[in-house]
Amino acid sequence: MNIKDLPEDENYFTPGHTACAGCAAPIIVRNMMKIFGKDTIVYTPANCLLVFGGTYPYLSWKVPYLHEAFENTGSCIAGVSRAYKKKGKKVTVVGFAGDGGTYDIGIQALSGAAERNEDAIYVCYDNEAYMNTGIQRSGSTPYGASTTTTPAGKKIPGKLEHKKDMAEIMRAHQIPYVATMSIAHPKDFLEKTKKAKETEGFRYLHVLSPCPTGWRADPAKTVELARKAVDCGMWTLYEAEYGEITNIYKPKKKIPVEEYIRGQGRFRHFTPEMVEELQRWVDEKWERLYGEKP
Amino acid sequence: MYEIRFHGRGGQGGRMAAEAYALAAFLEGNYAVSFPFFGAERRGAPVRAFTRVDKEKIRIKTQVYEPDYVVVLDETLIETEDVLEGLKENGMVIINTTKKPEEVRLSRPVRCATVDATSIALDVLGRAITNTAILGAIARATGEVGIESVEKAIIEKFGARLGEAAGKKNAEAARIAYEKTLIGTSQGGKAFVPKKRWLPDVNELPVGGAIGTLQTDAGLVGIGSFIENKTGDWRTFMPEIDKEKCIGCKICWFYCPEGCISMVDGKAIVDYDYCKGCGICANECPVKAIEMKREVRI
Repeated sequence: MNIKDLPEDENYFTPGHTACAGCAAPIIVRNMMKIFGKDTIVYTPANCLLVFGGTYPYLSWKVPYLHEAFENTGSCIAGVSRAYKKKGKKVTVVGFAGDGGTYDIGIQALSGAAERNEDAIYVCYDNEAYMNTGIQRSGSTPYGASTTTTPAGKKIPGKLEHKKDMAEIMRAHQIPYVATMSIAHPKDFLEKTKKAKETEGFRYLHVLSPCPTGWRADPAKTVELARKAVDCGMWTLYEAEYGEITNIYKPKKKIPVEEYIRGQGRFRHFTPEMVEELQRWVDEKWERLYGEKP
Repeated sequence: MYEIRFHGRGGQGGRMAAEAYALAAFLEGNYAVSFPFFGAERRGAPVRAFTRVDKEKIRIKTQVYEPDYVVVLDETLIETEDVLEGLKENGMVIINTTKKPEEVRLSRPVRCATVDATSIALDVLGRAITNTAILGAIARATGEVGIESVEKAIIEKFGARLGEAAGKKNAEAARIAYEKTLIGTSQGGKAFVPKKRWLPDVNELPVGGAIGTLQTDAGLVGIGSFIENKTGDWRTFMPEIDKEKCIGCKICWFYCPEGCISMVDGKAIVDYDYCKGCGICANECPVKAIEMKREVRI
């Protein structure tokens, strides 16, 4: 599966949405929807995508679409999926949640749906903070990032804690399919999406989604940042089936984390010690996932 | 008392402009308040901000409905809404545009000041953030505050947020705009059709509020209806594709957040009705066939 295999005229997420220029979320959603196809039911909890994808009565979605509360994406996609099963209809049920709705607010409903192995796809588009409400830190925000609730200044140097490894938490649920993805690797991105569609049971897809507004970066550099995140090891691409990692991507050349954080306003205040601390965290994660020192 | 209404787009800094203006007026011994008004939209959507200045304490807390001055940070806004709405008879409008005041067409002839704040911002700051340059134009056009107070307010307000050097650069942008502002009278006669809204009564509303695609007097509503929301007027830079160089690899087609690039005869084509000018296509093109060019709207 590659870019050229995608249908050209099928668009289930139309232009005219109101995402900020350079937002990665519509890139993720539009291309995934080309693979999920027209027999898809979409659910979104509170997130940017909910707002920019439609403000009643206007909508970018061209498939049945619903929104409930912030915390229950897992339960809602489970309910929709079971209702269609009862009716004997074969559909793909997808929930698109942000990192806040996954790491923090939605984790109990998500964990429950995963544990019951509901037949649905859960997509977390991870922009590493609550961007919709004005850039507040979430469990996903990396160490040192300046957000409106962890403003870098005299008292604190940005967020004090490291990013929670949500994909690993989902892998521990031993569900049929877990994949971490990046828009900077289109072939990998599309193949994982296709595999998720074709798998039965609970599937968890996790995509890093650079946010020019919240990361205070150049909108044109969105894909470049997604690429650098993988190359430096801040973001790791792998697939896991029933808890076992079956496929893991290793960057040909590992770049220092400093190259990734440069150009992002949220890291502008970084001292050499802070860069070192972030590099230490990345190297530990690298060793854990690849089973060898970087 | 005098009141100012700012029209801008999310991310252009209309709110900061309104606040910095209030600070400049305050530094000259006035009372001043300012606040923004916007919906749930993202960057790029129209945003309003207000400033009130008085010698007395200000008790009124409402939005500004009858402004003495209207400030337009983005000239595309004068095409889609009547920015003069409620403007006082002898009021004045200050617009960021490359045009002369006499070339600007509005709903009626009014006192009008123009300045090319976007070019000034690009020259001095390297970014199309026009909120500080426009402050210089307001000082020049209205004479209500001195340019020195504006510079001081900018250094204080923006310097605290972006660092001292950035504060000074922004003050410089204001000073240049102050010197380049043109004052005259606009043309009138431009007609605006008020945008209709879909307001169904209880009997017309579908069960659960769920709708398919519906053609109404107010245009499309429901599934896929955002297609009628043209986001092309958000951009400052536009991508230009060199057809000779384009190899039809579809990378830009894949990466366009708007999904507004299509492939015709194996070459990429941009639909400028939706393009927000983010520049991802130009940055990712493997053969550098796409160039981002400053767009000047006429």
